Amino acid sequence: MTWLLPIVAALPLLVAALLALVGKWLPHRAADVAALTVAGGALVLGLILVARTADRIVTHWFGGWRPRAGSFPVGIVFAADRIGAAFAALVLLLLLASLLYSWRYVEDEHHLYLVLMLAFGGGMAGFVLTGDLFNMFVFFELMSVAAFALTAYKVEEASPLQGAFNFAVSNTVGAFFVLFGIALLYGRTGSLNLAEIGLRLTNDGRHDALVVVAFSLLTCGFLVKAAMVPFHFWLADAHATAPAPVCVLFSGVMVELGIYAVARIYWTVFDGVLGEFQHPIRDVLLAVGCVTAVLGAVMCGMQRHLKRLLAFSTIAHAGCFLIGIALLTPDGLAGSAVYVLAHAFAKGALFLAGGILLVARDDIDELLLQGRGRGLPVAATAWLVAALALASPPFLGTFTGHALLDDAASVAGYWWVPAVIAFATIGSTAAIVRSGARVFLGWGERDDPLLSEQPSESAAPGEQQASLALMQGVTLVLATAGLVVGALTGLAARAVEAAHRFVDGADYARVVLDHRPPVPVPPETWHTTTLSIAWALVTFAGSFTLGFASLYRQRLPGAVTGALARGLAPLRAVHSGHVGDYVAWLTFGTTVIGGVFALTLR
Amino acid sequence: MSVLPYLLAAWLLVIGLYGIVSSRNLIHLTVCVSVCQSATYVLLLAIGYKQRGTAPVFADIPTSRRTVDPVVQSLTLTDIVVAVAVSALLLSLALKAFDHHGSLDPAEMTELQG
Repeated sequence: MTWLLPIVAALPLLVAALLALVGKWLPHRAADVAALTVAGGALVLGLILVARTADRIVTHWFGGWRPRAGSFPVGIVFAADRIGAAFAALVLLLLLASLLYSWRYVEDEHHLYLVLMLAFGGGMAGFVLTGDLFNMFVFFELMSVAAFALTAYKVEEASPLQGAFNFAVSNTVGAFFVLFGIALLYGRTGSLNLAEIGLRLTNDGRHDALVVVAFSLLTCGFLVKAAMVPFHFWLADAHATAPAPVCVLFSGVMVELGIYAVARIYWTVFDGVLGEFQHPIRDVLLAVGCVTAVLGAVMCGMQRHLKRLLAFSTIAHAGCFLIGIALLTPDGLAGSAVYVLAHAFAKGALFLAGGILLVARDDIDELLLQGRGRGLPVAATAWLVAALALASPPFLGTFTGHALLDDAASVAGYWWVPAVIAFATIGSTAAIVRSGARVFLGWGERDDPLLSEQPSESAAPGEQQASLALMQGVTLVLATAGLVVGALTGLAARAVEAAHRFVDGADYARVVLDHRPPVPVPPETWHTTTLSIAWALVTFAGSFTLGFASLYRQRLPGAVTGALARGLAPLRAVHSGHVGDYVAWLTFGTTVIGGVFALTLR
Repeated sequence: MSVLPYLLAAWLLVIGLYGIVSSRNLIHLTVCVSVCQSATYVLLLAIGYKQRGTAPVFADIPTSRRTVDPVVQSLTLTDIVVAVAVSALLLSLALKAFDHHGSLDPAEMTELQG
């Protein structure tokens, strides 16, 4: 059954290549059906994989290059544990939803759009399933290039070009850092297999400059994809300009893949050799995560372009995901994993609702759309449901993830972390509530000078004949899924079990290299604590109160709004939209993070 | 083995980044990205280099001959393929941007900010 594993990633890629060849001569709908069938088929395989990874790590050596136990692995391996398999399934599920939504949404060069989407999805699936470092880089680049092209899909407008250019240059520079790290590790260990590198570094035991530099470069390179401050600038530009169904994949899984990669590489490669430095590593990652969460939430409140607003909300949540990884405990990792799932559905639904507004009302600007969403009850419902899911009320939406994170942080002694997570949640969800109330209910004032002016998007010609019923259906289903997923509290215990396996790098190496069955993980139970319910009530009440209150920001005394505007001006100025500035920040951030690691990991 | 290739790789990366940061022209900027990428080629090849090693093609040499590491060479090839895709995409975006703005200066692309 191990052949299943590569098929999950290969199927979308193969069909993408095929569609690129013959798609021009296929009728639109035939190409659509082919793409949907493939995404659906790969999703079924992915779900089978999730079921089969309950008590094992499924491995597949390409071309039969399976090493004998103890010998050097020459071949390339795909190794899926529960978290990797679930991630692949989530990628394919969102791909299916986006393709369904795009049925009539993207009409220009429709088959090329399908090709890019399938390549993007296949690349992401391969990225989470592979057990080989260079293979990871190749899938990383594959999904990145497809994503760059998808961002610039509306090439006849000016801003998608800027968004795609900034996205492409930032992420390519990030990929160079990753490749530098890979090359250094190969130089030290002579291997590209994650498990083998980890084993050799651990046995070698040296944590010298080479290991620290490689660790810093790999971490920073992947954090560019994860849109962590100060590497996050590209994300808002790319999300604001990419088509709505593409944003679902960007926000729901692509950004999270960067965090997944940091976690995977830390636990398979570096945990052995840098294990004694958990404290500084935890502090650095935690600081980055917290700054990102807070900055994302603040910037989110200043946006009026709905997709850009949602993009900053993604940055805030991504910061929280990194916080879960940064704790370096299975509970924190499990929290992030469950959180990612609920967030992907809810944020996906919000982007899709934005797409509906764009098609039905030909605008995406909150102030210009004021009250014009009244005739779209389904989109309004989806917006509300998704906002509710992100506000994390007890036992709904992102609650389980938040609760696991809060508990993990408290256990690790970081009592203030739940407050940061709550701030990020309230700040970003309030903006979503505010814009929803303004657009769909017509509440609030006509103008708000605090919101930053953006070029509004217009629906492309092809989008006019979009099938609204289908789009609304997909949106509502995703939103509901996002809300309901929080009620499945059994998920938390399964996630903790999966996380225990994920963080056991030595066990991973034994399974991959020696073909032993993994050490059984004791069954977990998980109980909600009063603390997590209290925080959930805070974020829930806070999100909606602040959201409705900020509709009437103008009524604040002039001194207060003036001070706010002056205080936030520098922050706004930093997001300059200039690609050179972004790369300067990227270099600066990598230098600082690398410098701190160089000083502390010795 | 000489430390020079590693210094060269680091230098190429830094000078390429400097070029990207200070560039006033999108095509120049794309070339700077390629310069950064060249740094990765140099690094990879330097890591696989062996003194007096020959090309790892065993068709006409005994297998006992000392050769350079073929793995990094294939990594470099893959890397070049990636670079071609990225450069092609960036250049086509630059072309389209020129159609819109009549300029290739990234500072003229001011739609998205704040």
